[in-house]
Amino acid sequence: MVPAVADNCLTRNEWICGKYYSTRASDLASAVGQHVHIVVVSVLLGFVIAFPLALLARRYRKLELMVVGITTAIYTIPSLALFSLLVPISGLGLSINTVIVGLALYSLTVLVRNMLDGLRAVPADVKESAIGMGYSSTRMLFRVELPLALPAIMAGLRVATVSAVALTTVGAIVGYGGLGTLLINGNNTEFKAQVLATSVLCVLLAVILDVLLVGTQRLLTPWTSKAVAR
Amino acid sequence: MKKTFARIAAVLMAAPLVLTAACGSSDLSSSSKITIVGQDFTEGNIMTALYGDLLKDAGYKTQIKNFTARSVYIKPMEKNQVQISADYLSSMTDELNHEANGADAPEVATPDTAQTLAVLTKLANKVGLTPLTPAPAQDANAYAVTKKFAQANNLTTLSDLGKLGQPIKLAAAPDCATRQSCKLGLKSVYNINITAVQPLGFDSPQGKSALVKGEVQLAQVATTDATLDAQGLVILTDDQKLQNAENLVPIVNSAWLKKNAKAATALNKLSAVLTTADLTAMIDKVDSQRDEVSTVASDYLKSKGLI
Repeated sequence: MVPAVADNCLTRNEWICGKYYSTRASDLASAVGQHVHIVVVSVLLGFVIAFPLALLARRYRKLELMVVGITTAIYTIPSLALFSLLVPISGLGLSINTVIVGLALYSLTVLVRNMLDGLRAVPADVKESAIGMGYSSTRMLFRVELPLALPAIMAGLRVATVSAVALTTVGAIVGYGGLGTLLINGNNTEFKAQVLATSVLCVLLAVILDVLLVGTQRLLTPWTSKAVAR
Repeated sequence: MKKTFARIAAVLMAAPLVLTAACGSSDLSSSSKITIVGQDFTEGNIMTALYGDLLKDAGYKTQIKNFTARSVYIKPMEKNQVQISADYLSSMTDELNHEANGADAPEVATPDTAQTLAVLTKLANKVGLTPLTPAPAQDANAYAVTKKFAQANNLTTLSDLGKLGQPIKLAAAPDCATRQSCKLGLKSVYNINITAVQPLGFDSPQGKSALVKGEVQLAQVATTDATLDAQGLVILTDDQKLQNAENLVPIVNSAWLKKNAKAATALNKLSAVLTTADLTAMIDKVDSQRDEVSTVASDYLKSKGLI
């Protein structure tokens, strides 16, 4: 009744198994796709929320305490709990958006702090010169302050992105964990090839996204690399 | 260069709006697809794949989601964001009972399938859900020891283990300490001297490996676990009927079911034939031979002439 068990690296449960990669290529590809989708959208969403928050916090001292306090408090909520708490919210439910919103909330603390630090670090004499040249505050923000704050902001983005790659795996509890879904499944069934493949892909993903961000930073701040070359 | 900066910044700002708009279509509540959910372990994955194939064959567009906890999908099911779950008779009964009557409500599920189904139907109907026909297949809790330990002490039943009177460490689900079906019942019904409960999970590789290594003497496993024999483990018979009936049963949103009687017909055809042995064999194919869940499920349905 029970057919003889085929002898291959899958049935021997080896850590590295070519047959695993060939038979599960499409599963892995769609998991990576979902993972990237969740990380990219959540960090960008976090960025868009963090930017006005940082500007407000810079302008009003009292708000700063609140903004930094609240974003840090959100960061301390365990991810398992946060995703479960977001599920009952209408419009989220058991959708990919639940994970995205959760991760965006987590990214706020790093992003807001780094934006604030970056903007604060702009030398006062530079700002005075800009005012002297007749810059409006909006123009000064986009032409002087943001470009100078960029290294700090990008550092925040890099940390937020890499931690989002790791935290996305927890999204598996609401059914959208990218590689995390396969990782947990592999762990539960002691499927070594799957555990290793998904872990390595997670690390690779984090490294690739980080390198892309460093590259973007170089492109955006050519003066910093010139300074290094000199 | 300043212009480039502003342009890239503008793109960065606009991207999330576009992307979030694009992923709106993957929402579970989209009307064209029906959503089937289950729990995220091999058996749950197989059950949802079986249901999915049956309904695809009946002409539905399906989407399958497996979750690590049942509590995640109950509310969405009541709201018809999720239409069908692959569930377990007594566990679902307990879950709905707790939801309706509080966490401290007395347990209402029993070892009797028909009796538990009647209770479940009542509880489910109140929240807009309907259980379909349960399959003969059951995935009940069971308790395993090593074959060596069983032979050395001449054990075949849990009563035998109670009579042995040795202190026993147990590897089980984290909620074991407060459950009649676990620590409480093993003590009161079988008189087993449980000295510690290691919360290593229900039928987990960690729990079984602790048993093999001798860190615990008893482990909570599933009746459908196909790997026990190969690991040198054996289930002790539940001779006093401590374990509740855990037949596999499809739970369906009642409002959706009214308009989709043919879905119920398709799912009930599976429940008519699916046995514990069938399920164990399918799990073995996935967990030991590493066949893909989708292939195993559709092969089974074809072999039974269901699709």
